[in-house]
Formats: sequence, C-alpha cells, structure tokens
Amino acid sequence: MKGNEAIAEAAVQAGCRFYAGYPITPQNEIPEYMSWRMPEVNGVFVQAESELAAINMVYGASAAGVRAMTSSSSPGISLKQETISYLAGAELPAVIVNIQRGGPGLGNISGSQADYFQAVKGGGHGDYKLLVYAPYNLQEMWNLTMLAFDKADEYRNPVMILGDGVIGQMVEPFYPKPYVRPELPVKDWVLDGCKNREPRVIKSLYMGEGELEMRNNILQKKYKVMKDKEVSFEGYYTEDSEIIIVAFGIAARIALSSVKRLRSEGFKVGLFRPITLFPFPEKELFMLARESRRFITIEMNAGQMVEDVRLSINGISEVLFYGRPGGTIITPAEVQEKILQLFNHQPYLA
Amino acid sequence: MARPLSLKEISKKEVLISSGHRMCAGCGAPTVIKMVLLASDYPIIAATATGCLEVSTCISDYTAWKIPWIHSAFENAAATISGVETMYRSLKKQGVISKEIKFVAFGGDGGTYDIGLQSLSGAVERGHDMLYICYDNQAYMNTGIQRSSATPRGADTTTMPAGSVVPGKTEPRKNLTRIMAAHDLPYAAQASPSHWMDLMKKVRKAFDIKGPKFMNILSPCNRGWRSRTDEAIMLSRLAVETCHWPLYEVEYGVTKITFKPKEKKPIVDFLKPQGRFKHLFKPENEWMIKKLQEDIDREWERLQKEASLSAP
Repeated sequence: MKGNEAIAEAAVQAGCRFYAGYPITPQNEIPEYMSWRMPEVNGVFVQAESELAAINMVYGASAAGVRAMTSSSSPGISLKQETISYLAGAELPAVIVNIQRGGPGLGNISGSQADYFQAVKGGGHGDYKLLVYAPYNLQEMWNLTMLAFDKADEYRNPVMILGDGVIGQMVEPFYPKPYVRPELPVKDWVLDGCKNREPRVIKSLYMGEGELEMRNNILQKKYKVMKDKEVSFEGYYTEDSEIIIVAFGIAARIALSSVKRLRSEGFKVGLFRPITLFPFPEKELFMLARESRRFITIEMNAGQMVEDVRLSINGISEVLFYGRPGGTIITPAEVQEKILQLFNHQPYLA
Repeated sequence: MARPLSLKEISKKEVLISSGHRMCAGCGAPTVIKMVLLASDYPIIAATATGCLEVSTCISDYTAWKIPWIHSAFENAAATISGVETMYRSLKKQGVISKEIKFVAFGGDGGTYDIGLQSLSGAVERGHDMLYICYDNQAYMNTGIQRSSATPRGADTTTMPAGSVVPGKTEPRKNLTRIMAAHDLPYAAQASPSHWMDLMKKVRKAFDIKGPKFMNILSPCNRGWRSRTDEAIMLSRLAVETCHWPLYEVEYGVTKITFKPKEKKPIVDFLKPQGRFKHLFKPENEWMIKKLQEDIDREWERLQKEASLSAP
C-alpha cells in the first residue's frame, strides 16, 4: 500500500463518507482508491471538474454533517484556498490533504515541503488557522488521518495533512490500527432539515456593526485552545545534544538517519520533530534553547519553518538553516556533512 | 477565403513543432498540432494549458516549439492567450507592431471541457481574435487516465474503473462543440486527424475569420484507449465513420456537415480495438453498447436536422 492509499483507507475507516477530488500528480492514488472504495461503504466519490468544485463540494457535504475530505497537490491546493478560508470562517470540519510537490508555478512532481507557509500562515484570506499535521512515515499517514477527522469535528475546523510526494508514493509496512471513535461533541449545527426544530444558519458573512470582530475573537479563542491542547512533537536525543536538528515530515526522516549515524560515532546531536505545524511546538523548543546549544532547521524548501523556529528560540540559541528547494531530496550524507561542519567549527555555509 | 493547400506546398513548409518532443509513441496530439501549424499562412503565437502536450514539449531548458509559446496554468489557456492578443491589438493600434499575427490556444479535454471551460467561455464572449484548439483524447491522460467530461460512456478509467458493479463511465460525454457554438461565435468546428484535408481546411478558414474561433479535434491516446501505437489514425477514422465524432462546422450560426460517411458504421467497430471498452463485450454489459449506439444515432439525427435547417 502506498502512502496515498494509506491516507485514503484510513479516511474510510475513520468514517469519511464523502470524498471529492481532481487529478493532479503525485496524489492521484487517493482519488483512484476512493473511486472504488467509497461505493463499498455506501460513501460518495465525486471527481469534480476542478479543484474549486471539489473543495466546494466538501463545504456542502460537511454542512450536511458528513465526514468529508478532499486531496490535491500544491498547485491544486492553491486553487482551493478561497474555500478553505470559507470553511474556517463558517467553522465547518473537513480534512484537506496536500501531497506537496515542487513549486512555484507548475514546478515539478517530486516531493517538496515548500507549502509550509501556505499551510500554517493562512494560505487564503482573513485571520484563520488550520490544524496542520505533518506525517513522516506511513504509520503516521494512517494515524494522523484518523485523528484529523476527530479533531476537525472536535474543533469544527478544517484540518490539513501536509504530506509530500515522497511519502505519498512510498511503500513500507505499517500497522493499520483500527479506528476507535472518541467522544465528540454532538453535531448540533448540521443542516439536515429544520422540520420540528429551529432553523440553523452556517455562514461566514457578518456585515453587522462589530459582528465580524466578535466572530474573529471567537475563532481566535478556539485557535488558542488548539495551541494549549494540540501541540504534538517528538524529540530524539535532545537532552544532551550540542546541536539539535529541527525538521518535519520527510526531511525529519532523512535527518533522523543522519542523527543516528552521528550518535553512533559519538557526536552529541539530536532531532526535534514537530508533528503539528499549527499549533507549532513553540514552548517545547524554547525549553530546549541554551546559549551553548545550536539549532539547525532542515527543510526541503528555501527556508520556511526556520522562521517559526527562530521565533520560538527567541534569540537564545543560534538557529541555522539548511534546505534544498524545488522538489530536491536531501540525502542523509548531506545532513551529516553540514552537522560535522558545525562540530568542526568550520564556518557555516548554508 | 484561404485557398486550399496542396500536398506539394505542405511538404515544402517548415514544421513548427520539432521532433524529439516527449509525447508517447503513437500519440495523436503531435500529429494534430503539426497539421494545425502547417495549415497557417501567418506567424502564430500559441498558449498551451497544462497537460501532456505542455509537459512533453517543454522538458528542462528545451522547447519543441519553433514559435513564441506560453504556458500559464491548467485552467486558463484561453485567458492567457486573451492577454497576449489584447496587448498585441493595443501595440498594433499604437503602431508598434504592424505584422499580422494569429493567436492559438491549445488545451486537452481536461483543460477545456472541465477546469478551463470558464476561461474559454469568457474569452469567447469578450471576442478575442483567437483560435482555441481542444485536442480531445477523452480523459486526463497526463495524470494517469482519470475520467473527464469528454470521456465516452462505458470507458474504463482509473477514477471510473470498470468492475462487477459499474461498467466504466456511466454518463455520456459532454458535447463541447455544441456548447461553444451556442456562444454564437463566428466559427466552431469539429475535426479529426484521419481527415487531414478537412482539418487543415477548417484551420485555414478559422484563421481568416476575425474574432473567437473554436475547434475540437479528436486525438487518440494509445495509453488511455488501450490500443496499439499504430492505430491512432485508424481509430480517429473509425470515430468519424461511426459518427461518434462527426465532422462539421458552425459558421456564423450556419451548420454544415463537412464529411458524411457513405455508410455509417456501427459503434462496435470503434469500440472493439480499444481495451478501455473491453468489458462492454461481456454479455451483462451489452446494454451499454446499445445505449452508446442510441446516443450516437440521436446526435447524428439531430445534427443532420440542424444542418438541413441551414442548408441553402
């Protein structure tokens, strides 16, 4: 099973019964899988005529109370941004999968991490946040997809799975743990016919004096709760490390190989891997900041998450960056070389 | 009106799309593009929507196009060429350019029937002097054979796979040429590379008409149609002879069928050589073939009626 198929099957098992998609490489396995899998569970698969149509179908299905998902890759996710903002504004749960490819523009079709800003800083218009998960192997593709549906419902907020072409296409063993539905708030906002009850309204338009500010304050309060409760990360050998690599997704996986290798050679290096990109593990990184310690952010882009790492570290430690943009895959050897430069007190050249 | 080109003249013209592009062996699209470019007496500027043609003609630093060529995104070849054409008109008015240049946009069926329909309709309504060419291979071939609204009923695709319950695509294909003709644009036509004289004549006619023009050209894809690499022209011919793909044009509201098969072949002749229709020949799916035949008969009847209404 490919990473993309793991996401699709996890979604089905988590109760996703509506999927709308549109072809774009390297995520085509998701719509293709859903096209035959959804009918088996009495779910709906729709191939839309564009990404815009697909995300708006999700908006409609979600308002009707169904667990709904769409997926695409970078250029297609750009097209979806308007409605992602609407989903956030109308507080509609949805799961959006971005199997990132190289950009900008048409770019290429190899794995990339250049949509970090788009995913965590907004992407669409207005003050809104998505809950953003960054899986780094197939096990997490599976687990986080299931979690994404729960969190979307819990917060009435769109959740993004920020994967990439590498893990999307990768095949590896994992344990497909069965879905266990947690206790979730009743969907008392769903538009399912108002016979014998008060009509409900789902919208993102607030034109009255002060109305929109109030709505925004409510949203911000929700994002604050997410920041307090939903931060997820993993640390590897961070306690005694002189150098800590910060990386997410596929870059973290590559960096972990380098860390293990360097550790076996006696170098005190560790890895800090954010699993949620929003909320970002700011406090946790700050706790690791020391004057004697250096951080290096490794990303498959020209330097995006490094800004959040610097904000978190707040000047206490030096924060360096190494990355390769344009869908170029970093090798463990490259990372090792960079780290060794730092240990050997050679001038750092990014 | 442009006089027809002789084969001798065509053979002496420079082919403006070079060999060495990365389209698959046996693909119909490069043949179609070659014919379109050869048909022109004017210099051409082309825009291409994202798709097989775009990806495989601009690999790395190379381009297969010997003409000015622009690509922007998937959904907006018509909008992109609108921008280029408008600027050209402005510069011409200002006296900066005097040359007569023709503007062409190429899009596949995904980029034309589906995601690009809005920008195409907009460009036609604004009246840009351009020719939009849809090379229709009847599915999203570039991303791996997903259904499009140009996919015929019954075809097996990766997002509408033929199985024990669903016999391939259940919906009929969208009649885009009619939709475009309904814009009341000066010229809309349907063509096929099997009838190359007809195709090139239509292109030449289109270039001599001011305003927006649209041509829908069938372009067999052996990967998606599951056919042999040497069957593109044969299959496009069968599409015409079975009236799956009638050759006609609508010029200022006047419909003219440009090729009437002497004997209309049954649709089975078109379906048989293609793997994507293989499952239709199982006894339980025979109704689907019947349905396909009915669709074709109805549309052919209608088209003939439409043509007879505008007959002189």
